[in-house]
Amino acid sequence: MSYYDIDSILTDGQKLPCTFELEVPGLGILEGNPGDKINAGTRIDLPLWLGEMLSIGARLGTSRLVTLDIPSALSERVMNALKADPRTVDLRALAPHFYSMSERVLELFEEEEMVDVLSNTFKKRAAAIADHAHNPKGALGDGVEFLRGLDETERQLFRVAHDSAKETRIWAGEAKKK
Amino acid sequence: MAFPLPRGITPPEISFLAEMEMVTILPRQRLEGLELLSGPAEPLLPPRRTTLPLWLALLLKRQRRANILPPSWLHPESLSLILDIETQHHEYQHAFSPPPPLPGQPSLRDRGKRPVATPRYTPDGGRYFPAPPFLPQNVTQDHIAAGEPPSLPFHWLEVGTMLLDAASDDLVDPDQTRRLLKELREVRTAKIRSGVDVLDAAASGGGGVALTGVGAMEIGEGRGFISGVVDGLRKIGASKEQARREQMAEDMANGGYDATQDDEDDMEF
Repeated sequence: MSYYDIDSILTDGQKLPCTFELEVPGLGILEGNPGDKINAGTRIDLPLWLGEMLSIGARLGTSRLVTLDIPSALSERVMNALKADPRTVDLRALAPHFYSMSERVLELFEEEEMVDVLSNTFKKRAAAIADHAHNPKGALGDGVEFLRGLDETERQLFRVAHDSAKETRIWAGEAKKK
Repeated sequence: MAFPLPRGITPPEISFLAEMEMVTILPRQRLEGLELLSGPAEPLLPPRRTTLPLWLALLLKRQRRANILPPSWLHPESLSLILDIETQHHEYQHAFSPPPPLPGQPSLRDRGKRPVATPRYTPDGGRYFPAPPFLPQNVTQDHIAAGEPPSLPFHWLEVGTMLLDAASDDLVDPDQTRRLLKELREVRTAKIRSGVDVLDAAASGGGGVALTGVGAMEIGEGRGFISGVVDGLRKIGASKEQARREQMAEDMANGGYDATQDDEDDMEF
């Protein structure tokens, strides 16, 4: 993850539900009331980078400004759906950077089970991606529905698998170079 | 990414490397010995067989100055035997057929023996162990040890394809050979794809996945995808790995690390 990595920058912008523990004057802008104060107990979706910073007190053990919650993309409901069948879930609709976001969230929460569910999901879907990537028709076959639901990490995986399969086919003379 | 090519090496580059494999030829014309960068090539005297690098052999073949003797594995009989091992043999259901033994490595039949590799020495005296393409894996042997099963060398796909392209009239039944090569390739591609299931062992600490018997082109093709999957799994499992390490450090601090938790992975690659 480099400083200029556009995907990690975009992951930083994913929203995370936060609850304010203290009253903060002047932060009303987050809620849409510029110049106002923000009340204790307010729930707002904050971007990952901001929520992480504000909750840092929680990890140091001092009084915290906000408590974080698991985002809806990683809720119990989604986890159950992923356990049932990883291939039918539209990850892109949940979060465009689903895996990079869950990676960051897992740094903040201790969720052993979620790690297992997500690794299993990634593996199952990677196998399906490999199948689709070796299809010479590319993303135009019957897998359109599944491929549309890939998150950014999986799209890159698809791209690299598809390109290397194509390169090899071109070398073997089975496909024409465009 | 500023650099337009993906990581790893491209198929043309892999086949370029494979052209350094030595093959046996039967010259039709005399030719004086050549001083090549890879070492001197013997002079060609017509009825006598010589081993030359594949690229030179292909060049001579195209000029009709030589015939290439196909390596013993590039024969319909050997290939269909290997295909049988890949598809029927229950031991290799999810694994690749064994590669030819390296020098000093005991052959498959006497498995219990310890390998005794003898190093070779560079002109400066440095030790090295030769690896493909610098092993005589594609040279025709005069006497094959009886009962030695045929095996696919590291550059099987590249050498096979190039010989089929340029020297198909020197092969035994080229159409059948071509069909078998294609079939082998499909079977093995399917194995690589189904191998995704064991990849999380490579992502966790201390694990690994054996790629014994996988050819150069297959590695080149799978490189991007496999490393992508392993990387993704590693990132997802990072927090768990962190917790595991902390636990281990704690155990160590509390007296002794027991060696039982060394991962014993049975990889079927």
